[in-house]
Amino acid sequence: MTSPLAVEARGLAKTYGRGKNRTEAVKDVTLDCRPGEVFGLLGPNGAGKTTTLRMLSTVLAPSAGSAQIAGRDVVADPDGVRSAIGFLSGNTGLAPRLTPREVLTYFGNLYALPRRDIVARIEELAKLFDMEGFLDRRCDKLSSGMKQKVNVARTAIHDPEVLILDEPTVGLDVLASRTIVEFVRDCRERGRCVIFSTHIMGEVSRLCDRLAIIHKGRVQFLGTLAELRAAHGDDLEEAFVAVLEQSR
Amino acid sequence: MSLRNVRIIAMKDFRDVLRDRRTLIFMMLLPIAVMPLLMIGLTKFMTAQQRSKDERSVTIAMDPSTRNALIALGREWVAENRDSWAAYKAKKVLEQEEVASALGAVGDSLRDTDAEAGEAESAAAAAEEQQALEKLPEFDRHMLAGVADARAVDRILELVEFVRLADVEGSGALTSGIEIPESVPAALNDPRLAVAIQDKEIDAAFYMPPDALTSMENTDGAVAAWLLHDSSITMSGETADRMDDFIRAVGRGRLEVRVREAQLPAHFTEPIYVEVADVATPSRKVQAFLGGLLPYMLLAFCFGGAFYPALDVTAGEKERFTLETLLLAPASRFEIALGKFSVVFVAAIVAALLATASMAVTFTQGILPADVAAKLDLTFEPLALALTASMILPVAALYAAMLLAVGLFARSFKEAQSYAMPLQFLCVLPSMISLIPDLETESYLAWIPFVNISLLIKELLKGNYLWEFYVITIVSTLLLTIAALFFAATMFKRESVLLRT
Repeated sequence: MTSPLAVEARGLAKTYGRGKNRTEAVKDVTLDCRPGEVFGLLGPNGAGKTTTLRMLSTVLAPSAGSAQIAGRDVVADPDGVRSAIGFLSGNTGLAPRLTPREVLTYFGNLYALPRRDIVARIEELAKLFDMEGFLDRRCDKLSSGMKQKVNVARTAIHDPEVLILDEPTVGLDVLASRTIVEFVRDCRERGRCVIFSTHIMGEVSRLCDRLAIIHKGRVQFLGTLAELRAAHGDDLEEAFVAVLEQSR
Repeated sequence: MSLRNVRIIAMKDFRDVLRDRRTLIFMMLLPIAVMPLLMIGLTKFMTAQQRSKDERSVTIAMDPSTRNALIALGREWVAENRDSWAAYKAKKVLEQEEVASALGAVGDSLRDTDAEAGEAESAAAAAEEQQALEKLPEFDRHMLAGVADARAVDRILELVEFVRLADVEGSGALTSGIEIPESVPAALNDPRLAVAIQDKEIDAAFYMPPDALTSMENTDGAVAAWLLHDSSITMSGETADRMDDFIRAVGRGRLEVRVREAQLPAHFTEPIYVEVADVATPSRKVQAFLGGLLPYMLLAFCFGGAFYPALDVTAGEKERFTLETLLLAPASRFEIALGKFSVVFVAAIVAALLATASMAVTFTQGILPADVAAKLDLTFEPLALALTASMILPVAALYAAMLLAVGLFARSFKEAQSYAMPLQFLCVLPSMISLIPDLETESYLAWIPFVNISLLIKELLKGNYLWEFYVITIVSTLLLTIAALFFAATMFKRESVLLRT
């Protein structure tokens, strides 16, 4: 039976090393996200956010627990999961010697899109992210804002059911950030699920329908923004800190 | 497994590495340029070295009476051997190497080169020598030996600066490891002389008894001359050779006079002699040399061609954070590994092919100096070339797999380079075995990686088809390649390696 949920994680855990070197990066993460929802993933540095997202995107295999993306299991059907997601993080770079058009075509091919669709989709994304002026310039000649636009476009080339964006606006100017925030909204309107990890509380309040706060490898809060505010006050930053304090 | 994905990944990586200057240099530019530059440079350098050694005057310390005696002996030899002297003078403009070659080539005739040789001499001298040449008998073994003797005499008459034994200053202590043997006569048994040789103030010291010429006049007289030199110093050794050649030449000349005066047959002093005929043509000799050099060069360029692409598509991608981007695409780890392997494999093959093509062009298309190129008539049998190519394929795959594994394991490009360098020694140095001349290709060597390929290519290019050796080499290399590929593919499945930054 196909799950109505876009993302469904149950008891996800990830440990590295053995014996004295054993580290539990993620201990127990259970969450679910629905289509047409922007799901915020918050947590301090080292909380286990990136590891969780890497497990959801099949880059890392979970040590325990399970996860399904668009009804496909991350362990049993990693190729299926990868076809259904678009993933962006600080660890996903662009080939510097290729042009944005070449990068997007490359990934379009890997997602098995027909050639004509790739060309049309690149035109569409170029307009959306205002990339027309540098579509054929080598990536190593682009500014960080331009690169990030290309990178987000790369995650969306196959119009995936689930987008996982790990701090997509970090280091960007206001205009570039706004373009990305608008893109996330657009995805939600088109029924896509977006997992949005950020440290910027303004973006959380503007974008997220629900959110999870992860700390020490566990989900410390899971609910809507209204529920968070009701429990810990209107100031989102204070509420965030309060959740972290509680989990000590 | 989707071959489509493998192709997509390979095509992208190709495009990527071809835009990398380092890859272009190592994969294309070096294989193309190194061989012609190396060969031209080496040839010019060696010729220049030889010429400078040949043309350099040497300084020999001796008594004035000894000097006069030597000059007298030399002039007497010239007077007695006018034919050889004329023949030598006609050839004088040519290189020493060619004189040596002429000595070995019985069919070679001086008459063919007389016009060309004459140009270097003054017109009058050339005409005189021309006349002498025309009177020459058949250009036989004796004439060739005579030309060599003329050269030995000429070099003492023309290229020696004399200093008096008494004028040699030689001050300071002798270096350890230098001593004057007790048997040396008193005239030369002087540490100052050894010090002067050691300090290159003089190249040698020479002594001949005062009554030498008189003694030689007697039919049964024998003269012992002495030369003090240091064989560890190049020009001192060269001086000893020149003097030795001279003394032998005038000795032979004097012997002929004695034989003639005693009215003995010409062959009286030579009851038996050997005529040497070398079945190896000059091109065969060069082929043997190249056969040794080629395998080493091929493997070195093959590894060099794989080096940068392998590290670029693994450690380089990690460093640029593009590997994780690729891991998120719907391509299996094995497809990614195979795509990257294809790129490195092709780069290694291209580098090896370009190096081979460059060598072929260098040796056949007039890039080398004319006198060197004239001696080359290289032809390799098509079967030998095909078998050589069949050896390059598994070795390129082996290099590609090993370098990919190393590159993937490293955290950064720099770290990958430090791992790959020792690997280069391991993979390329054993192939230098082919440079050892006349090494017996024994069966057990077929089991030693890289040594086997190198030796086999060498034998193939010489036209020796060692089928058993070939089969063992191919099978053992393929087994090693499969193991390396399996290892590299395993590395691509380990997240601790893939995400190790």
